[in-house]
Amino acid sequence: MLSEIKNSLINLDIDKTLELVKKAIDQGFKPLDIINTMAEGMKVIGDMFERGEYFISDLIVASEIFKEVMKILEPLIMKEKEVMKPIGRVVIGTIEGDIHDIGKNLVATMLRVNGFEVIDLGVDVSPQKFVEAVKQYNPDIVGMSALLTSTMMNMRKVIETLEKEGLRDKVKVIIGGAPITEEFAKRIGADAYGENAIVAVDICKRLVEELKGKK
Amino acid sequence: MKSRERVIQALKHVEPDRVPIDLGGTWVSGIHAKAYYELRRYLSLPEKLPTIIDVGQQLADIDRDILELFHIDVIDINRVLEPRAPYPRKYRFVGIDSSLKEVSEYEFWTWRTPYGIDVEMPKYVEVVEREDSFIGYAEGKPFGKMPKTGYYFWGLKHALADVKTIEDVKKFDWDVGKVSDDVIEVLKKKAEYLYKYTDYALVNPFMGSPVALGAFRGLHAGGQTLRGWDKWFGDLKFRKPLAEAILDHIFEVMFYNIKKIIDAIGDYIQVQVVGYDDMGVETGPQISVEVFREFYKDRYAEVIGYVKKYSKAFTFLHSDGSIFPLIKEFIDIGLDIINPVQISAKGMEPEKLKKTYGE
Repeated sequence: MLSEIKNSLINLDIDKTLELVKKAIDQGFKPLDIINTMAEGMKVIGDMFERGEYFISDLIVASEIFKEVMKILEPLIMKEKEVMKPIGRVVIGTIEGDIHDIGKNLVATMLRVNGFEVIDLGVDVSPQKFVEAVKQYNPDIVGMSALLTSTMMNMRKVIETLEKEGLRDKVKVIIGGAPITEEFAKRIGADAYGENAIVAVDICKRLVEELKGKK
Repeated sequence: MKSRERVIQALKHVEPDRVPIDLGGTWVSGIHAKAYYELRRYLSLPEKLPTIIDVGQQLADIDRDILELFHIDVIDINRVLEPRAPYPRKYRFVGIDSSLKEVSEYEFWTWRTPYGIDVEMPKYVEVVEREDSFIGYAEGKPFGKMPKTGYYFWGLKHALADVKTIEDVKKFDWDVGKVSDDVIEVLKKKAEYLYKYTDYALVNPFMGSPVALGAFRGLHAGGQTLRGWDKWFGDLKFRKPLAEAILDHIFEVMFYNIKKIIDAIGDYIQVQVVGYDDMGVETGPQISVEVFREFYKDRYAEVIGYVKKYSKAFTFLHSDGSIFPLIKEFIDIGLDIINPVQISAKGMEPEKLKKTYGE
């Protein structure tokens, strides 16, 4: 049953996936097991995207199916008081001056799908707002996105502000977006660059591990 | 060799005397006002405020001195600086202060931008300052928002984000996208004038819809503008009848406008833009070739086919990103020009493009 759910997700068949999930619940499968199955399916879809077999439209369609499934499962999880401990907490936002949120939203969704708790600050987020969020939520990771060469320079300001406030060592910083490169990330003192949403998730997992090691 | 002849030769794949040069000929080969201001300073040209030709992107129109200095071969027939046609479009609208305004396209006001310079803004545009941003209005209707740290106006909302049924889609006022006859009249005079009195290759980047509407600039981008970037992908996959209904309407407006435009100016212009339709991202096409064929290919074939059948104009489509497999699809239906050819995107290496598609 669970492998059928996984396959129908991989085939991007929303109707069949929802039908199978409902059936699985009726048959007594645990919501958390279903979520794990879905996450495995998303991983396969991510790999297919990486290999160029799936397109960004497929990635977004898959996350839409995932969200629909979560609408069914979330109330059950609440009822059963099953607790899924997030593997890490991420504060994410599009940088000041930039209101592009497609990439940022996709990364946020993929992180959630993979078990992260995500606090999305939205778009045009100032360095102050990032710093306040770090103080308030105590995240493991800060994620910043930019689409424009003119706004990506503002990422450095966020890192500098974190340093000034003595918060830089408490979090890992990952950045991404069309104009960003590995070299740029290094230059402004970020910990990592996520080339796309799939890579970003793997890196965030690694960064959380590194933080744990440090603590 | 004169500019117009040079561009036509190149577009016919015959080698001209030199590579034709474009700066500001279209809204996707222009220069931002700030960069333009710095460029003039760098070249020690007479200091003057940049004149905005594309309000959303804040692109500057190119002055005659730069056209000549850079040996530019291509101009937009809607340009507002000299050399320009003495036939400005007239705008009549209710402004944000509720008064009736009548202004010409060649009238400007000075706007202190948040990006550090003053610019000449067309008078059909009004700007309202908010706490965190500026809201732009064109002909009295809001078209975008510029953050206080920004350089551009961004679209405001997705008009059809919440539609559920084909009936909802029908209720939308699609006719607002259609070009009016008096706009066509002015366009014709401009094209005819510039054809007669200049040697430039003439481009019409205008596809007929008002500034405030991004929905009719392309099939894919139109769907995304109306529904939301990611929701549109879900429509193409799970809600096909809804997607088809929306595309039928977008196509109807696009085709109506292109037909009006080509019937009026097809004899004068060398290039007509048929779409601003980003179909790629940095890493690959947004959609598969199969999806392109299912939803877009036939509709674009009709638009491009009309231009080619009823005029000598070459057709121009803008798509950012990595679109390698889609280029063949566009060649199939007769498209002449792809802009910008983003060679920094994955799979868009110039050697590969030349080997596969070049001749």
